[in-house]
Amino acid sequence: MTDFYAWLAGLADRGALPDIFHFAFFVRGLLSVLLLAPLLGGMSHLVVARRLSFFSAALGQAALTGLTIGLVLLGEPLNAAYGGIFGFCFLSALAMVYVKRHASLPSDTLVGVFLSMTLGLGICLLVAVTKRFNIHQVEAVMFGSLLTVTDTDLAILLGVGVVIGLVFGWVYNQLLLDSLDHSLARVSGVPSAFLDYLFVMLLTAAIVVSLKVIGALLVEAMVVVPAAAARNLARTTRSYLSLSIATAFVAGVGGLFISSRLLVPSGGAVVLAMSALFFVTLAIGGVRTLLSHDAG
Amino acid sequence: MPAPPVLEISALTVQRDRRRLLADVSLTVPPGSVHLLVGPNGAGKSTLFGAVLGLVEFSGSIRFHWRTAGRIGYLPQSFAVDRTLPLTVSEFLALSRQRRPVCIGIGRNQRRRNAALLASVGLAGFERRPLGALSGGELQRVLLANAIDPAPELLLLDEPASGLDDTAVKQFEQALLTLKQAHGTGVLMVSHDLGQVRRLADQVTLLDRHVRRTGTADTVLADDLAASLAADAGYAT
Repeated sequence: MTDFYAWLAGLADRGALPDIFHFAFFVRGLLSVLLLAPLLGGMSHLVVARRLSFFSAALGQAALTGLTIGLVLLGEPLNAAYGGIFGFCFLSALAMVYVKRHASLPSDTLVGVFLSMTLGLGICLLVAVTKRFNIHQVEAVMFGSLLTVTDTDLAILLGVGVVIGLVFGWVYNQLLLDSLDHSLARVSGVPSAFLDYLFVMLLTAAIVVSLKVIGALLVEAMVVVPAAAARNLARTTRSYLSLSIATAFVAGVGGLFISSRLLVPSGGAVVLAMSALFFVTLAIGGVRTLLSHDAG
Repeated sequence: MPAPPVLEISALTVQRDRRRLLADVSLTVPPGSVHLLVGPNGAGKSTLFGAVLGLVEFSGSIRFHWRTAGRIGYLPQSFAVDRTLPLTVSEFLALSRQRRPVCIGIGRNQRRRNAALLASVGLAGFERRPLGALSGGELQRVLLANAIDPAPELLLLDEPASGLDDTAVKQFEQALLTLKQAHGTGVLMVSHDLGQVRRLADQVTLLDRHVRRTGTADTVLADDLAASLAADAGYAT
């Protein structure tokens, strides 16, 4: 990858690319956004369809707790606490789905209980973390930072993205049908429980590999807002998916440039750009509805 | 020797929170026949369907005697579709009929099949309509189209005619007769229209958490009982 970064820096020297391409950390951030846009943008419409927005927020919080567990209990390095984050997020996700499927309480209530519990645990462990690390280093995980993205992170992101893409190609129709109506899915031979667990496992993996760029507190936005923005304009499932990905891509690249220019956390900048796109599509959708009423 | 019933329910009991929703229910659906369930609201008709579909825990036995692949067609009592969901009628029908993810597109053969299917329920040209923008009756007909293709061995219909106009009801009843006669489909159906029960049923079960009466439409819907049902549950006579 060093040669690739040097080649881009050379192009920047010759004026073919903006000056910011001199910095390898920015190129890594850009590459991660290029991988994250189809991954999270593509998943977001299924997250909304399966009513898992709040669940995603809880997973983001669980990632923070997983980080503290990785640092304090497993002795992992701050820049690669994957064992703690993956392990705790997977366990939390499995527990949430299991309880949701076996309890009679509404799912948002149950997710709220899990969210409080994991956050409480995370805050208690954070005290131990701050004795060993500078709190600003932990902030990078909470809010996202381009400086912390490594080539290994990119490789993990690519691998996870390819696996999720292949699995989705295999079960996409079943997932969507199951989101619409469990009983109709059942008579079509859809294994509803299996898909419930499979989807949250994939979502957890996607969220965990996105943390360094987006941050634990903001990753929920990345899996909800693209679908919300796309829904303002889309008429078909095909356009819903492509507009979700386009929103994630435009906001990701735009947010990255804002972050590098204004020196603000990348996660915050990306989410702000995404929210702006949501309101733009909301306005366009409103105008389109008005015009169609006038034509009618 | 007569063919075994496509669906055989024996001593079915469903209990929830110490309350019996169904108690000791037994019935059969022979192939090529229509078995109508009637009864007041809360009688357990939809719960019975839930048990047959494996969505509800139960005691007793539910057995299927399939002759071929064993396809079940199902039309639910309610289908709450999000009105803003960007999903077309054609995409909805393709979800359970094509392997390729519908977000990539619908294959040419599937598009043709969807068009023919929609035409068969009086919705020709509805392929690109958003599912959430359909009226109640139109949605009901899309769900019916979804349930009857490919021809199922067992068809479960939970108040299929609700929201349909007279023309659509006639089309629906004709489609049902075709399935029954041409494909030997066994039908288990809930209806609140006693006229329809008399027109369609080979067998009728009056359910009120347990089987109160079962037999032909004439025996089950004796005048006094029909009048009582009409008064108690708002049945159309």
